[in-house]
Amino acid sequence: MIFNSLTFLVFFAIVMALHYAPFFSWHQKKINLMIASYLFYAAWNPPFVILLWVSTVVDWWAAQWMVRAKRESTRKAWMLTSVIVNLGMLGYFKYGGFLLQNFVELAASVGVIYHPPGWDIVLPVGISFYTFATLSYTLDVYLRRSKPAGHFLDYALFVTFFPHLVAGPIMRPTELVPQFEIPRRATGNQIGFGLALLTLGLFQKVVLADGFLAPVVEAVYDAPGKNPGMLDAWVGTLAFAGQIFCDFAGYSTSAIGVALCLGFAMPDNFRFPYGAVGFSDFWRRWHITLSSWLRDYLYIPLGGNRHGQARTYAALMGTMLLGGLWHGANWTFVVWGGLHGLYLSVERWLKARFKGFTPGRAGMIGLAVLTFILVNITWVFFRAKTFTGAAVVLKGMAGMHAKPDALVAYGPMIIAMTIVAGIFGTHLVMRNTTLEAVLEKTPAAVIAGIWTVLLFAVIVEQGQGSAFIYFAF
Amino acid sequence: MPSSISHSDAHKAEVRGVREGALPAGLRQTAANRPGQAQPVPTRDIPTRPWLKIGAFVLVAVLLLTSGWEWTARNLIGLRAGDIDDSPQAWAEARRAADTAQVAIVGDSRILFDTDQARFEALTGVHPAQASFVGTNSRTLLEHFANDPNFHGLLLVGMADVMYFGRPGIGVGAPAVHGYEKNDKPSQLTGLWIDRWLQRYLAFMDHDYRLSLWAVRADNGWRKGTDSPYDDVWKISETFPGRQYFMWDQIEKPGYLQSHARYAWHGFKGPPVPPFVVNRVIARSSEAVRRIRARGGDVIFIRPPSAPELRVNEDKGLPRKSGWDRLLAAVPAKGIHADDLPQAQNLVIPEYSHLSRKCATVFTDAYVRRLVELTPRLKLRADAPPPLSRADCVPANFVSM
Repeated sequence: MIFNSLTFLVFFAIVMALHYAPFFSWHQKKINLMIASYLFYAAWNPPFVILLWVSTVVDWWAAQWMVRAKRESTRKAWMLTSVIVNLGMLGYFKYGGFLLQNFVELAASVGVIYHPPGWDIVLPVGISFYTFATLSYTLDVYLRRSKPAGHFLDYALFVTFFPHLVAGPIMRPTELVPQFEIPRRATGNQIGFGLALLTLGLFQKVVLADGFLAPVVEAVYDAPGKNPGMLDAWVGTLAFAGQIFCDFAGYSTSAIGVALCLGFAMPDNFRFPYGAVGFSDFWRRWHITLSSWLRDYLYIPLGGNRHGQARTYAALMGTMLLGGLWHGANWTFVVWGGLHGLYLSVERWLKARFKGFTPGRAGMIGLAVLTFILVNITWVFFRAKTFTGAAVVLKGMAGMHAKPDALVAYGPMIIAMTIVAGIFGTHLVMRNTTLEAVLEKTPAAVIAGIWTVLLFAVIVEQGQGSAFIYFAF
Repeated sequence: MPSSISHSDAHKAEVRGVREGALPAGLRQTAANRPGQAQPVPTRDIPTRPWLKIGAFVLVAVLLLTSGWEWTARNLIGLRAGDIDDSPQAWAEARRAADTAQVAIVGDSRILFDTDQARFEALTGVHPAQASFVGTNSRTLLEHFANDPNFHGLLLVGMADVMYFGRPGIGVGAPAVHGYEKNDKPSQLTGLWIDRWLQRYLAFMDHDYRLSLWAVRADNGWRKGTDSPYDDVWKISETFPGRQYFMWDQIEKPGYLQSHARYAWHGFKGPPVPPFVVNRVIARSSEAVRRIRARGGDVIFIRPPSAPELRVNEDKGLPRKSGWDRLLAAVPAKGIHADDLPQAQNLVIPEYSHLSRKCATVFTDAYVRRLVELTPRLKLRADAPPPLSRADCVPANFVSM
């Protein structure tokens, strides 16, 4: 089920009614939420509920046995069991075809021709998200950062809680399980603000990402045999920068709003990322819950910055390469991650080389623009399905096509670039504050007017129920 | 241990997470600020604004605006409640029905618009499963059914010759046809049901009149050489249950929309279809028909009419004798060409490519009566309505184009 669907509106209305029904105990309400969450997931592909169940049960027992273990090696064995089961499922469903294809190509390169049967495995929606969420549970227990959950129901509900289940934010058990301990009941203001966030998220997804930006992106990136000129290539890539942000941040904002209506707090996943100055700043603002997960469970265990320069750069690059692969089973995603790793490494080196340098206001804006431009170059590898496709767009961005094709009509182009400029400008202005802090000072009439426009735009745009881009990850 | 997720009274206050009143700017911490530790319950601050009152205002304002938009849709645009959109999910539904149907129809938009399913049923007692798709090469749909061992019925293959012979791929219907079996997820089915229910009452719910399309269509080909949204085919049809398409009445009336609809076809101009391509298409068609017939099914080709303004270019691209006639001579199947139906001559084709709503019924009447002569699988009902003629759909003052 997706937030931008009529089915979800009906589902959410029923969930809210059950959640606030006076005749259910808190225990019963948690069971209701869990059943609703399973339905939410099963609405896409019912058999894959089994994977959720396997992940839940294995990690619950792994953590339980870990704390009961007398020997360190036993603890480690249970931790590894959890890691192998979770990454095994992820590997089989998400990377099986990719690995097989690479094996076939590698074998062919040394003269061994191998024709395996087709790998026609459907990717369970959101597997990358809930796998990471449940892994953080056993890893936190193993690393003695937290105790196991006290009640199976609370833990199972943490795994399946529908607002974060299929596309994040990737929640840690310590963020959510404690919230199940006491009855959650949102105040009228919380519900009102939650609905406002849900509207904002849907506006980003339905109107901006799907309505205005996606067609411009497709005109450039899904035009086989066409060579975009500099204008079209940059417009298509900038439009994708806007689309991917509105799509994913829209989902996160909707999820936070939905959870808030039920009385739960979810973490920020985006904080005006295109206002970032530099790449470490960017990754503190973009997909925060993934970048911090990778930092805590990959970068730091790989050595982090505690073992000298070379090890730090290796850990950084390794983390970003794997982070790229997390996004999809394709070498283009690995290159995307690698580019970010490279940017982060260069930035780290420059910061060490020019310690004490503090840019002025103009310098900050210039660096923000530079960061945005460089991020856009990485988006080419994220969006293009092949390296050939990426090369075509990159050549276009560099103005290297001798006879470029005109691909984007001026009308959609102007609208898309206005939206992207709006997003970039907003992120720059808001980079040191929060939406809530700004709303605190905004007159109620203005908020009401903006909310009305956003909701009406969502209704008039109607949407076509297209899935969020990150569902595929 | 810096944090715990076990039950304890001490951190009950901390686990609330949600607090009224925004924190000072920038103070809300995220996981990015807390490396290498268990993350605490996040903080969500609610700005101290009267959210319930604001929400109530928004609800009323949006209801008023939506009512106004609904009025505009009905009275100024000409949309109607009950005109339900088509979708890949709806096609998948029709496709599943086609598996066991006595008669299934595949093709492009012409056979889709020009077949009146109710008339078909009134004449034969059989309701056809409509599995055609706009902008789609019916040869690929024929092969799609040939590959389905479950299909044993009569397949009517509607075609626009240039599309059938000249289009290399499947066309617009690709997302619906490829992997259609996956378009039956519970959430997709419930979405389809709720959407149809709402569209029974709301006229503005029409994908051709959504906000983003309104905005981009204002560009009427400003930048030469691009695929401008202005050049696309806009709304020309209404869709009813069973994927029954009919010409939208706004297109039947002279005016801007009709002119645009005619313009969007670009005269069906294009290079001639090379003979080797025709040969290949005939060979593939023949193989597909043979496979359907081998398991007890049958195929009949139908060529609906087009207006002389388009027909002249279609014939330049592929004359009847080089395409249609050769196909029927080569494949083990029969066919009905609009040119050969006396009742189907000089019908109203408002935008040159699809029949008017009334004339679709007349054409259906004409081709079904011919159909029952070609196949023993269909019979004219004893209580079938009397034949229709051109006079039943063409206004007295109509001047043939």
